[in-house]
Amino acid sequence: MRDSQEQALQSLIDDLRQRVAEAEETLSAIRDGSVDAVVVGGEGQDEVLVIGDDVSAFRNFMEAMEPGAVAVDSAGRLLYANARFRQIFCEDWDQLKGKSLSEILPGSAAQMVGKLISHDDHEAAPLSVSFLERGVERNYLVSARPVHLGTVRGFAVTFSDLTERVRAETAERAQRVANAIIASANEAVIVCDRTLTITHANFAAEALSTEKLVGARLDTAIPLKFPDATGILEVGELVESSLGGTPLRSIEAFAPMSPGAHDVLVSAAPLNISDDEPEGCVLTLVDLSQRKKDERQMHLLMRELDHRVKNTLALVLSISKRTAASEETLEGFQGAFSGRIEALAATHNLLAGASWESLSLRQIFGAEVLPYTETGSDRINIIGPDLNLYPRAAIALGLIFHELATNAIKYGALSGETGAINLEIHPRTDSPSIEVTWTERGGPPVKSFSRKGFGHTVIARSLSYSPHGGTTLEFEPTGVVCHIRIPSSDVA
Amino acid sequence: MSTEDAPTRKLILYVAGETPKSLAAISNLERICREHLPGKYRIEVIDLKKNPQLAREHKIVAIPTLVRELPIPIRKIIGDLSDEQKVLVNLKVE
Repeated sequence: MRDSQEQALQSLIDDLRQRVAEAEETLSAIRDGSVDAVVVGGEGQDEVLVIGDDVSAFRNFMEAMEPGAVAVDSAGRLLYANARFRQIFCEDWDQLKGKSLSEILPGSAAQMVGKLISHDDHEAAPLSVSFLERGVERNYLVSARPVHLGTVRGFAVTFSDLTERVRAETAERAQRVANAIIASANEAVIVCDRTLTITHANFAAEALSTEKLVGARLDTAIPLKFPDATGILEVGELVESSLGGTPLRSIEAFAPMSPGAHDVLVSAAPLNISDDEPEGCVLTLVDLSQRKKDERQMHLLMRELDHRVKNTLALVLSISKRTAASEETLEGFQGAFSGRIEALAATHNLLAGASWESLSLRQIFGAEVLPYTETGSDRINIIGPDLNLYPRAAIALGLIFHELATNAIKYGALSGETGAINLEIHPRTDSPSIEVTWTERGGPPVKSFSRKGFGHTVIARSLSYSPHGGTTLEFEPTGVVCHIRIPSSDVA
Repeated sequence: MSTEDAPTRKLILYVAGETPKSLAAISNLERICREHLPGKYRIEVIDLKKNPQLAREHKIVAIPTLVRELPIPIRKIIGDLSDEQKVLVNLKVE
């Protein structure tokens, strides 16, 4: 009996001890802030009282905020999320509450926001994060401020949606880049919509029309004519073709109304901004003026070359026949013929070097005569102004100088050690001819050509293609004198 | 006793609506059980804001409080369960 009383007493003591321990633990928990609500009883009715500030006002305020907003504790756990935040991440609050913000936000955004709420003593600068929201990239400016919620310290984190602003800025930048690309293109670039109304045109394009291009219709602002071979009648067809998925490249066209280039090479490509059908057409117009000019020049040169080759062949044939007729031996023919062809070739070389435009008389003289004299010799003197001769006169004079020099070597001033040649170029006057005088002196006594061979004919006739051209050959006792008349019309 | 041999814990967490400490206690308890008692626990969350009279069964005064109802004897852990070691000792896991 006594034992059972003692046991009961001991059990009561144990129970009381446990209650005291529990009471102490409860008081300690309240004191150190690890609980934030208590149950109080009154008149048989229990009631829960929340310790600390009333957080409902704070929640109501957050709920009314336009940006997404959450309250998190110092560990980043969600204590509250407003409707906008739930709309972004998860409609169901029961799935969000108590979760860490790093579990909710996508990877890189979670890390960045995690750093934002790691500064519990000061406010960190807002940062911009972007992530996919239902498959669409969105941009948010995230800021965090330390707050007290009930008994805990935490953060209020807001997510301001910058997506539309970022999109607008991106679109504006893209537009600026596109405009800069169009503007910096050297060729004319025109963008038109599906109705042929011009929406963009660069400086080079403006030069093709007398009116302002943007806002105007393409076919009236820059009317284009296409050669029959292209099968295109007007620019509208070009645009239509490219809108239909067939871009056209390098179509030659003529712009009759253009104040600038008339010949252009047109390309048209569809303007694809989205996956939908093309919104317009991008046309580039390359100025073909220079190319056309070059082509015309090339055709002219081809005709000229053909003409010259025929003339030269005829001349060579004539030289061959006449040389053969005037030479008595094969060796004599070979020497004379080669010398004449080489003289012709020397002048041709000079002319080719000068693009067949004109040659200096002194150059021709140098090529034909100087090879027969010693370098630095004072036996050759040229006085008077130089002349620039057109090809016809240059070739003729080259042959004449060759024949005179050959004669001087064989029989005249250059046949001995002491003779000299003076070439006097007379100044240009109003006369239709310009005279050049070849004078030999100091050579052996001169006799007239015993037999007037082809050399004499070359000298006499080479410049006779014009009534103002020709030569007069005099056999003075002191040496040969040749008066050469060059037609003024062949002097540049 | 290893975790594998441990009987299923029946845990009752008393909370007061969505106070910060209540939310923290739910989050902490779920994480600890998930990591240390996989498949060996049953959690019942009782919101005393909605049903304050339920506090009497386990003489709950401070919220949040976790009650380990099974295995006996009953153990109580008062607070938001942020001290993981303390929780594990009381759940007899460590």
